[in-house]
Amino acid sequence: MSKRTRTRAAGAVLLGAGLVLGATGAKAQGTLVVGMTAGDLPIVTGNPDQGFEGYRFVGYSLYDTLILWDLSQGQTAAELRPGLATEWAADPKDPKRWIFKLRPGVKFHDGCPFTADDVVWNMNRSTNDKAPEFDPNQFAQARAYLTNFASAEKIDDLTVAITTKTVDSLFQFNMSYVMMISQCRAREVRYNWVDYAARPSGTGPYRFDRATAHQRMELLPNKEYWDTRRIPKQDRLVLVPMPEASTRTAALLSGQVNWIEAPSPDAVARLKSSGMTVVTNAYPHNWTYQLNFAKGPFTDKRVRQAANHALNRADMKEMLNGLMLEGFATATPSTPYYGKPRIYGYDPAKAKALLKAAGCVPCKVTFAISTSGSGQMQPLPMNELVKSNLEEVGFQVTLKTMDWNALLDITRAGVEKFPEISGINVSRSGQDPFNALVRHVWSAAAAPKGANWGHYSNPEMDGLIAAAMAEFDPAKRLVLLTKIHELMSEEAALIFVAHDLNPRAMSPKVKGFVQAQSWFQDLTPVTVAP
Amino acid sequence: MSQTVVFPGSAVSPHEDQAAPETRIRSYWQSVGYRLRHDKATVFFGTMVLLIVLSAVLAPWLAPFDPYKESIIGRLKPMGWRGHLLGTDELGRDMLSRLLYGGRVSLLMGIVPVIFATCAGGALGVIAGFMGGKVNTGIMRTMDVFYAFPSVLLAVAISGAMGGGMSNGMLALTLVFIPPMCRVAETATTQVRALDFIEAARATGAGTMTIVRHHVLGNVLGPVFIYASSLVSVSILLASGLSFLGLGVRPPTADWGLMLSTLRQSIYVVPVVCALPGVAIFITSICFNLVSDGLRQAMDVRM
Repeated sequence: MSKRTRTRAAGAVLLGAGLVLGATGAKAQGTLVVGMTAGDLPIVTGNPDQGFEGYRFVGYSLYDTLILWDLSQGQTAAELRPGLATEWAADPKDPKRWIFKLRPGVKFHDGCPFTADDVVWNMNRSTNDKAPEFDPNQFAQARAYLTNFASAEKIDDLTVAITTKTVDSLFQFNMSYVMMISQCRAREVRYNWVDYAARPSGTGPYRFDRATAHQRMELLPNKEYWDTRRIPKQDRLVLVPMPEASTRTAALLSGQVNWIEAPSPDAVARLKSSGMTVVTNAYPHNWTYQLNFAKGPFTDKRVRQAANHALNRADMKEMLNGLMLEGFATATPSTPYYGKPRIYGYDPAKAKALLKAAGCVPCKVTFAISTSGSGQMQPLPMNELVKSNLEEVGFQVTLKTMDWNALLDITRAGVEKFPEISGINVSRSGQDPFNALVRHVWSAAAAPKGANWGHYSNPEMDGLIAAAMAEFDPAKRLVLLTKIHELMSEEAALIFVAHDLNPRAMSPKVKGFVQAQSWFQDLTPVTVAP
Repeated sequence: MSQTVVFPGSAVSPHEDQAAPETRIRSYWQSVGYRLRHDKATVFFGTMVLLIVLSAVLAPWLAPFDPYKESIIGRLKPMGWRGHLLGTDELGRDMLSRLLYGGRVSLLMGIVPVIFATCAGGALGVIAGFMGGKVNTGIMRTMDVFYAFPSVLLAVAISGAMGGGMSNGMLALTLVFIPPMCRVAETATTQVRALDFIEAARATGAGTMTIVRHHVLGNVLGPVFIYASSLVSVSILLASGLSFLGLGVRPPTADWGLMLSTLRQSIYVVPVVCALPGVAIFITSICFNLVSDGLRQAMDVRM
């Protein structure tokens, strides 16, 4: 070995030792390293991409919304709580006009104060293509929540009026998804969103430190956070995209990360035997098939009911090692508007009789499914089991497998463009009544305008939806929403299969996490022991 | 390439051959057959390929269970559990039966695209090589465009654009293999075209089609065949890769790539069982590769 080679080798050893010590040191100070299911780092210019995982780890970390979700407990479904707005209400004289009172004394990470101007500016940024701050990317990310948004107007520094296009008592839920970013920082970078992404600034509990494209993002606690109870207790939050479940499991077992999202059900026993903590909780998730109401067998209610009776959900639960709730309705039983829906238990004989009565034997159907995706759980084996169950009662099922984004394209385009598809298997979140119920069955939300993929249309349903949206009394609205939920089951508007239990696994060193019944989670109380 | 060769293992030289009329003169194909028979490695791996093909063809008779009959109680069981020689998969289906049936898909996806690509690419290559000039430039530069993409990327892109399914997968692989096949055929044809016997054939008044049929194809077929045989293993691997990514066959079809993809989530439960489709892909592709290698050696008269 030459002198130069020896010197290089010694340097490499020292560097390696330094990295190891550095990594150990970082962990010792309480660094939470999360292995996400996302295929890439979520964008940081406001509303994130990568599904609700992007909101969970990046969106609600860097930013706040006017209305936030209460993620402090896991006993009941998460509900709305004040965020950047301390109170809000529709104007009794004009129910389309919502008045938001803003929280005083809030500052962005760059030091600028948060005021009504920031709300108007942020709404313009996502909706007004004439405004200099308009960001087409954010328009695309936020448009699903702003379809009913008409305008925003500053009343005073701490009061904003937001007007909707139609009377919409559920509008407040949509405002819980619209992130407020710093206009100071955006102006500083002259609305160059690439530059902004390198130095994003919000009001959230974490501030951006650094990111390596496609590999990791590091966030630091915002010690000046307005909600002192939620100043992060760990020293650093590191987010690593790891789309493959086996990779995440291996990363947790090897100590590369100390928290992983959605481990494979079959890896849970291995993780537990290694001392890892696996937490689960019910949350508003729905693994279903949205059906084609325009053409084909599912236009007949009896066929839809037959499909629901054919499913052996207990078998599926066993296949997933218990990591699901059997899905018998659109919402989970703990949802306030669950009511008393008609339950389609496993009854193959009844399913056969219904198919025979509908004259659909063999009943040929085609489902568009994905190989993976946010909230899709274990799509291939689950769909294979569904196919097998359905074929036992007289269906003839073709599974059209595709990439997650290709399935989302079909989902957005709607049934008219894909009449040959009888149903789509796309998991849905049901955080709020609009997203849980209304968007599936409201004729005004027929795709591509909305998420009613199969163009379900029923005057009785539309009437209930209109009444619920016009009702501002929560108790009275709850009655209407319950009726909508029960009618969806009576109509067998979906094939109900499963609700995910949101498994996540973490190192025994991770303490203080409370798993909320929500797609979003609060990481701020988490600590990592040395 | 001459149509008769002196067997290279013979102790006599060509001159001695003239002096000793009892020396056996073998045709080219006899010589190839002789070499193959005496290449023990190729014989062994050839037998393996034959067994794999037979097991796939006879799958309905050999499979001990219905490959599509699931049993949730019996999921992810180890080898030998209740008559399941190779265990069960994530839906409790018999692994041996699924591997046997999966071989049908994998071999079909391995062989059919290569056959189609050989016909199409070979024909284009011969036309380009024999015609030369602008025709050559037109065909070969078009091929170069496709050639610029890595084969895996091209296969994924074509399958992704056309959607999954076995027929689309086969079409994608065929399109991927046409450019390299065309290039091999074009190179061989260009070399042959310049040889004297082609000129001689022309001088005797032979037409283009006659020259191509009798003088060019016979000389181009060897290299094309050797190259095609080497592509079978590549095709099996690519097809498995497409299925692994969800762009190949549709579930619940038994296919090695798809089986590997769905079983990887269960690797901590029955690791050996989960690795079996990968082992099957590995053994099959290596057998085809080594047989192709043996064929190349046997058909190379210069050796």
